[in-house]
Amino acid sequence: MNDLVLSLSKATKLYAGVPAIDGVDFDLRRGEIHALVGENGAGKSTLTKVMAGVVTLTSGGMTVDGVDVTPKTPLEARNLGIAMVFQENSLVPTMTVAQNLFLGQEKFYNRLRGIYIAAQQFLQSLNFDVTPTATVGGLGAAKKQMVEIARAVLHKAKVIIFDEPTATLTPEEKKYFFDLVKDLKRRGVSIIFISHALEEALLLADRITVLRDGKHVVTDDAARFDRARIVQAMVGRDLSNTLYGARKATVRPSGKRVLTVQNLKMAPMVKNNSLSVFAGQITGVFGLVGAGRTETFKIVAGVMKRDFFHGGEVILDDKPVRYRVPAPAVQAGIAYVTEDRKVEGFFETASIARNIYLGLLAKFPRGRAWLSRRESTSTGKSWIERLKVRAIGDEAKVVELSGGNQQKVVIAKSLIQDPELIIFDEPTRGVDVGAIVEIHELINSLADKGKAVVVISSYLPEIMALSDRILVCRQGKVVEEFSALEATEEAIMYAAIH
Amino acid sequence: MKRVRISQQEIVFAVFAALFLSFSIFLNGFLSADNMLTLLQNVAVLGILGLGMAIVVIGRGIDLSLIAALAVPGGLVLQMVQNGHSLPASLVAAGLLAIAVGLVNGWLIAYAEVPPLFATLASGLFVAGLGQAALFQLDVVQWSDGMAGFERLGQGSILGIPTSIVMFAIACVVVFVLLRKTRWGAYIYAIGDNPFAARVTGIPSRPIIVLQYVVAALIGCFAGLVMAASVNSMPTRIFNSTLIYDVILVVVLGGIGLSGGRGGVVNVIIGTLLIGTMLNGMTILNIPYAGQNLIKGLVLLVAVITDTFLNPRNEETAQQGDI
Repeated sequence: MNDLVLSLSKATKLYAGVPAIDGVDFDLRRGEIHALVGENGAGKSTLTKVMAGVVTLTSGGMTVDGVDVTPKTPLEARNLGIAMVFQENSLVPTMTVAQNLFLGQEKFYNRLRGIYIAAQQFLQSLNFDVTPTATVGGLGAAKKQMVEIARAVLHKAKVIIFDEPTATLTPEEKKYFFDLVKDLKRRGVSIIFISHALEEALLLADRITVLRDGKHVVTDDAARFDRARIVQAMVGRDLSNTLYGARKATVRPSGKRVLTVQNLKMAPMVKNNSLSVFAGQITGVFGLVGAGRTETFKIVAGVMKRDFFHGGEVILDDKPVRYRVPAPAVQAGIAYVTEDRKVEGFFETASIARNIYLGLLAKFPRGRAWLSRRESTSTGKSWIERLKVRAIGDEAKVVELSGGNQQKVVIAKSLIQDPELIIFDEPTRGVDVGAIVEIHELINSLADKGKAVVVISSYLPEIMALSDRILVCRQGKVVEEFSALEATEEAIMYAAIH
Repeated sequence: MKRVRISQQEIVFAVFAALFLSFSIFLNGFLSADNMLTLLQNVAVLGILGLGMAIVVIGRGIDLSLIAALAVPGGLVLQMVQNGHSLPASLVAAGLLAIAVGLVNGWLIAYAEVPPLFATLASGLFVAGLGQAALFQLDVVQWSDGMAGFERLGQGSILGIPTSIVMFAIACVVVFVLLRKTRWGAYIYAIGDNPFAARVTGIPSRPIIVLQYVVAALIGCFAGLVMAASVNSMPTRIFNSTLIYDVILVVVLGGIGLSGGRGGVVNVIIGTLLIGTMLNGMTILNIPYAGQNLIKGLVLLVAVITDTFLNPRNEETAQQGDI
């Protein structure tokens, strides 16, 4: 059984100088099921993408069947026998099952009847109950996954990587999926699967590898793990060693209740979510990807399209509100600092000063029908100073700045609107080390000034360092609330994992 | 980024200068006073339309109904006056029609979220059809006595400058002020730069998009009146011509990226000069219509390709890797 089909040594991948994975050693035996667990941002996706040829290593090596190779494209990886089943599956929804199976392998003249017969035989040989002539778009999540698996087997994959395979499945579908995976194992295929669901990993896997902050923590037989040991390995940081400083000794008391969310629903991400946010303190919202944290607050701020709003109430300062677009929410004193600043954060061709000035124009249009260059420059200057944005002049374009400075501009654009409720979604994602400290200081000072501050983060040390109150989300709703004084990383992680 | 954009403008201006110079030297009659006047007059209408298109393109849209907005309200004025209505009343009716076209376009694009290409293509066809079916008696709406005096909008000269050029200049100033000096202009650039960020910032994106199309339609209507005044009639069949492609050519060639948020009035002027000179030179050279289209097509293709290289849409290329 100690026959290695794939191994990585000292694998490192840097994104703009920041390691996503850092010197990771990993090996995969023939015919084993290997679970990969870790927090968001631990480097699980990057590690598997390296194997699948989607991402190229910055340094380190990879061997397949004992031969040194580094797949540079997904096609090369596929030819090596490595297939990846993505979270967002990669099937063409308008084509039939058979067409999807043979996609990219069609003969010049492609006779539909021929591929239907071939697909039918192939699917039967796998014992898959899928109709080859069905259109993929009409299939359920489990059947789509079956088609993906069938395609991987058809491509003679030796290694199949699943990224969160069970996240979208119903319990029965999950059971079926487990049987499929076990069947694949019997055929000698090695399986890697990424999962947030620890029970599944413990149940299904032969071995489990835990990653934390891009580093390999432990690999061991699943039988020698239990839930507690995995959680311990996932969060067991030496806190004195992080940038985030020590735990809080005191917490700010709750001020006036600013925001109440009651039974908010939005399929499929938010399920009956209820929570409150108070003035003068920082409410940390923790949860794994898919826990519905971002969606809940995007609905509050009107950023999420109203069409998907399925029910529940948002109450701002004792008044029920329902925003269809962000503009009225901004007027009402809500600011949402996005988790994805490149997509919805800043204006890249505009200068720093113009970016900030646009925030001012949007909130206080009165008396500003004509642009004032002087006001633009002076507000730009003062905010650049306040937030210590490092740039060559305030006319520098935002796109030329580093991640941390870009984030500061996005924050300034919101703060100039003088909001009462500020929602920071992953405020330090992709931000350089020095800027993290400065942004945290800024967030703290806002709460000290009596603003209601929400920090959404999937990074536990950040939550622990900033929050006065911690809300933990799981599967679309807040499941537990901690005071920062009583919370421990283990307790929070326990609550967040299903 | 900044450097690249400036050099694109410079290239286009250099091409214009080279073309103008070589036509002046090698083409008999190009530099004559008569020809210069025709050139400028043709250029004026094209330039005014280019301004309307520029506003929309800067806001990351496109307006294919611009020619309909030129022909139909313009023709309506002439027709109504012919039918015995007063000139001011006819002008008001034309303005209202243009505003209605803009409102429908804007509503379709901003609220119904129809892609601008299809929304304006459809509305343009509809308006042109409406004009031909219900409003005009002849394809070419003739000047009538009631219009006396109005031809000064497109003929003659003011302080020695041909009037149509003065009209273009006025339109340039108005659009420049709108885009660069007002809050609305700042919003238009912001929406074109990053529509998602504009939304999140609290900019009223949808009303501003409607505004863009209304202003574009009004500018189209103005161009139509200038054109009608300079030729003393309104050939409504102009909708079926390739004029709309010339307008897009002007905007893209001038360096206003189709990805939005970039460029301004200067780019329209440069683009207009180049296209105007090119079209005029080709006419004097007696290049047949088909040949002209061939050349225009090639130039537009080169311009669009250059544009995608110089101003790539960023949200696709610049996304960070998922960790």
